[in-house]
Amino acid sequence: MTNLEKYKKIFIDTFNIDESKLDSLEYNTITEWDSIGHMTLIAALEEQFKITMETDDVIDLSSFKKGKQILKEKYKLEI
Amino acid sequence: MNIDEKNIKTWSTIGPRATLGIVALELAKEIDNLMVLTCDVSTSAGLDRYRKTYPEKYLDLGIAEQNMIGVAAGLASENFNVITTTFAPFQTMRCCEQIKVNLGYMGQKICMVGIASGLALGTLGYTHCCIEDIGVLRSIPEITIISPADSLETVKALQAAVKFNKPTYIRLTGSANNPIVYKKDYNFEIGKSITLKEGKDISIFSSGSMVYKSLEAAKILESKNISTKVVNMHTIKPIDKAAILKACDSKLIVSIEEHNIVGGLGSAIAECKALLSKSPKQLFIGVQDRYSKGGSYKFLLEKNRLTSEKIVEDIFEEFNK
Amino acid sequence: MEVCEIMTESAEIKKIKNFSLNVRKNILEMAVSAGASSAHFGGALSITEIVSTLFAHHLRIDKNNPNWEDRDRFILSKGHACLAYYAALCEIGYISKDELKTFEKDDTNLLGHPVINRKLGIDFSNGSLGMGLSLGIGVAISSKKKKKDFNIYVIIGDGECNEGSVWEAAMAAPNFKLNNLYAIIDKNNFQQTGSNKEIMDVDSLKDKWTSFGWHCKEVDGHNIQELHNFFLESQKINKPKAIIANTVKGKGFSFSENNNAWHHSVLTKSFYEKALNELKKNYN
Repeated sequence: MTNLEKYKKIFIDTFNIDESKLDSLEYNTITEWDSIGHMTLIAALEEQFKITMETDDVIDLSSFKKGKQILKEKYKLEI
Repeated sequence: MNIDEKNIKTWSTIGPRATLGIVALELAKEIDNLMVLTCDVSTSAGLDRYRKTYPEKYLDLGIAEQNMIGVAAGLASENFNVITTTFAPFQTMRCCEQIKVNLGYMGQKICMVGIASGLALGTLGYTHCCIEDIGVLRSIPEITIISPADSLETVKALQAAVKFNKPTYIRLTGSANNPIVYKKDYNFEIGKSITLKEGKDISIFSSGSMVYKSLEAAKILESKNISTKVVNMHTIKPIDKAAILKACDSKLIVSIEEHNIVGGLGSAIAECKALLSKSPKQLFIGVQDRYSKGGSYKFLLEKNRLTSEKIVEDIFEEFNK
Repeated sequence: MEVCEIMTESAEIKKIKNFSLNVRKNILEMAVSAGASSAHFGGALSITEIVSTLFAHHLRIDKNNPNWEDRDRFILSKGHACLAYYAALCEIGYISKDELKTFEKDDTNLLGHPVINRKLGIDFSNGSLGMGLSLGIGVAISSKKKKKDFNIYVIIGDGECNEGSVWEAAMAAPNFKLNNLYAIIDKNNFQQTGSNKEIMDVDSLKDKWTSFGWHCKEVDGHNIQELHNFFLESQKINKPKAIIANTVKGKGFSFSENNNAWHHSVLTKSFYEKALNELKKNYN
């Protein structure tokens, strides 16, 4: 499984959402991605990629796309 | 709601308040006459999703805690299973007389959940911290008081409280990334303490956020070959007298709480111990009956000597007197 | 199960009047038997017609079963006026005449403020002012959720309206559209140590409750016809309903009317005799 596949799987499992919807997915646009869902997502990302995210990044991570960018730039992961 | 490693990790990360929101969602599935009431703190109590999913089992009374307890008692008198929740100081002290009359005296069964108790919201000042809630409620008969040690115990406590036949107060301490005390499911019984670690020289009794700190402190004390027992007193009232009696063969009893040392767990233990003709000395670790300058949670724990290092220092000094 | 049917106009009013006479008699019995421990006399007499209009007619209750699920609920938020409440429960048959005599005696079920005892028809403990309307909201919401159509009647004192919690509840009820909730404010113009004006003026109560979103009317709290008409007409109004009942504290006896000393005091034998004579004169 590539990092991208792992990244996608986390979103799909956490929000039980269909892969086709990932690219346009944003925070608070679906009921699952509310404040609780967001923290569950962060916990899963940290667990999967063995990182601890800074508060700013946790807050900035407001969409599927933005998440990839943050993980690439701030945490040196190729996705 | 399966209690597995993944959930335990998630609940720990999201902290006790958000865990409350998740448990409420589960309870609403099992209990059809459940009613969750709050005072304009739905988001802070992790109830956003609950509110949207079960609008008919939810009431927001606005910033009016006295009214909330009265309404809750009215619902309970008509056999609804009621949970109320707001920030701990407002959930307990703002409506204290309604709690006495409606829950203690009249016996209406309600589960009150005080969120962000202790020092977690230190940056907001002591208006939003709560170091007095146990002391205040302990003097009202018939109210059971529980302080869960971590997010999993928050789940267990809520599940037990809604089935319990008496009014309860659940005090949530700690915040997001709440350290994990229980790595897997276990048997939780209201009123029965849990010995997490055996030890002969010292017996530590703690509850809420201080349980994890007590385990850390015990490790360090063991390295100084002081054999230390750690007991999770999740239920502060009614207190587990048997556990206190058993601990009387140790040389020192230590109570540790993120609460004023006046009126809290330490006082409850001392009251019980005082009935014995002979019992070991007690060291009260907690907020030393004063308000202080505010600051982060970490800062306030440090200032009140509630970090594992400071706890070890104080115990070590007392033990070697 | 005998439910109060709607009878001809004057017969109803006569029935309620007779009920209120017996309530006053029962109040006298309890007050004199309380003796030195004294009783809250004035505030019970000011709600006597209100309580009688409810218990003799408008409250849907089952005389054989105080716990009938569909009964209308009654909450005495000004709990210290319980002499009138116990007197009415006795008239209904939930409390025996003998038990009335145990009022404020050791180990009694009938203390100076109501203590929950559903066998006797006492649905809630009251006595701490400002709490009853909140209980009423909880019950009113329950009624809606259970798809029942029973009503809830809460009697509140004018002095009691000094409590902030009353206004928390007053603000909440219209938000929840509780058209099955009645708040009856006993405006007898006095509170514990003086008149409302001396202590804390609660004037323009009608404007206050109306502005909070209640359907509100001012009535003569001792005029059974006016009370009766209000309860009939307001049934179809889709808001919580408030009555400002203008009353006389100590109503029914010359020595206690508008005499705040009778807020809480001892009914001696001589006052008891005097009161009984006045009852006979006025009511026959």
